[in-house]
Amino acid sequence: MIQADGLTRRYGRRRAVEQLTFAVTAGQICALLGPNGAGKTSTMRMLVGLARPDAGTARIAGQPVRLGAPVLQRVSVLIDGPAFVPHLTGTANLRLLWAASRRAWPPRGLADALDLAGLGSAIDRKVRGYSTGMKQRLMLAHAVMREPDVLILDEPATGLDPAEVRALRQHLAARAAGGATVLISSHQLAEVQLLASHVIVLHHGRLVADGPLDTLLGTHRSLEDAYLAMTEGSDRAAR
Amino acid sequence: MLRGELTTQLLRWRTLIALLCLAAVPVAAGLSLASSAGHRNGTETGLFGASPFSALNHAMAALQFIGPLPLPIAVALLAATIASADRDWGILRYLYVAPVTRTRLLGTQLAATAIATVIAVLTVPVAGLAAGTVLFGWHPFHVIGAANLTTGAAAVRSLAAVGYLLLCMLAMAAIAFTLGLVLPRGAEALAAAIGFVVLASVLNGQGALHTVAVVLPVHYWQNWAGLLDATGASGLGLGSLVQTATIAGCVTASWAVLRRRDPAA
Repeated sequence: MIQADGLTRRYGRRRAVEQLTFAVTAGQICALLGPNGAGKTSTMRMLVGLARPDAGTARIAGQPVRLGAPVLQRVSVLIDGPAFVPHLTGTANLRLLWAASRRAWPPRGLADALDLAGLGSAIDRKVRGYSTGMKQRLMLAHAVMREPDVLILDEPATGLDPAEVRALRQHLAARAAGGATVLISSHQLAEVQLLASHVIVLHHGRLVADGPLDTLLGTHRSLEDAYLAMTEGSDRAAR
Repeated sequence: MLRGELTTQLLRWRTLIALLCLAAVPVAAGLSLASSAGHRNGTETGLFGASPFSALNHAMAALQFIGPLPLPIAVALLAATIASADRDWGILRYLYVAPVTRTRLLGTQLAATAIATVIAVLTVPVAGLAAGTVLFGWHPFHVIGAANLTTGAAAVRSLAAVGYLLLCMLAMAAIAFTLGLVLPRGAEALAAAIGFVVLASVLNGQGALHTVAVVLPVHYWQNWAGLLDATGASGLGLGSLVQTATIAGCVTASWAVLRRRDPAA
């Protein structure tokens, strides 16, 4: 469903992503891991057309992705944090973003999305007064209400409390069980270990490891141990 | 999407306050001239002198008073904000993945800017007509130093004048819109647009700088007033050409900026 083939992106002289190739198929929950600056967000931007690769291609459902590509109707994105019109209510913001996709309000998935967000009556308050966690939950509601085939979520659990993280995990697992493809980036490795079926590890913009979670865990006791071994091993190899 | 853009921008407090200020000018001016109803306004000439004779006289005088500075500033506020707000708020990336193409985004924002400009321009004559009707009543359009205009002639000339001023303000909006796209923040774009209006007005007032002034759209903004006074109108064709060229240049520049810019920026 998500296909990256030789993706490369440079910012000036710095190589953010280098020859990155991977695939995430329907029903998988794939975690994109790596230290800060590893190229996770740059990769996600290229996957949804927000950044043009210097080389390589990104495809979703077999179709090449570019800015405004129709295939993005099937994708939900949370990237670079939540963003809203501050003087509009939560509902008005959801309507505004939904209207941009040229579909009739309300979306079928709205009730589920609002249930996940758990904002209650605050949904009709101006977003200006929301906390960081409330904004994150509203953004997740926006992602979920689209009932997408593909979810690309950059640090989706940021600002959520443990109960909200669990609700999100259960929701994403149910989506994947229903055939959706989920790609998330996260630094919360314990949470990833509970959620992900597959893992991709990036370091310095390059692919370090890619495969099913169980395979990558190997003999390590936790994903944290495996991840640190992979990234530190990569550092040693680089030296 | 256009409806969303319009409601998002027009229902902001700053927009409503700007429109209210525009509407307040003809009302305040009308109140100050109420005692002169049906008489010439002191020794003033042209539209200002004839202001207390009728509602339409008052509306057009208000438009001439507000046209050089307050109206362009209000238009610049609206246009610069429409161009930069999505980026300032960070929602641009979510619009792009909605998905919205660059062409649709630019088209929607330009349409919203044009509609907002029409609203800003019409606010002044509408408020002027309303205040003038109450304070001065409906009478034939008075021209100092010439015969009154017939109802038909007054209507046609007034519509032509408003249309010309609207074209001028669309040029101003196009400049502010382009600045809103080019500069990193909406506040910077607004400051630059206001700076442009003030500087261009100062340059336009310097006789020695005539060769510079004639290439500025500001130079032609008051040409419409001749349609409604005894001096007669001149330079409307050239003025329209300069405004149209400014709009075309700014739209082209906006498109080039939007195409080159990293959408994630």
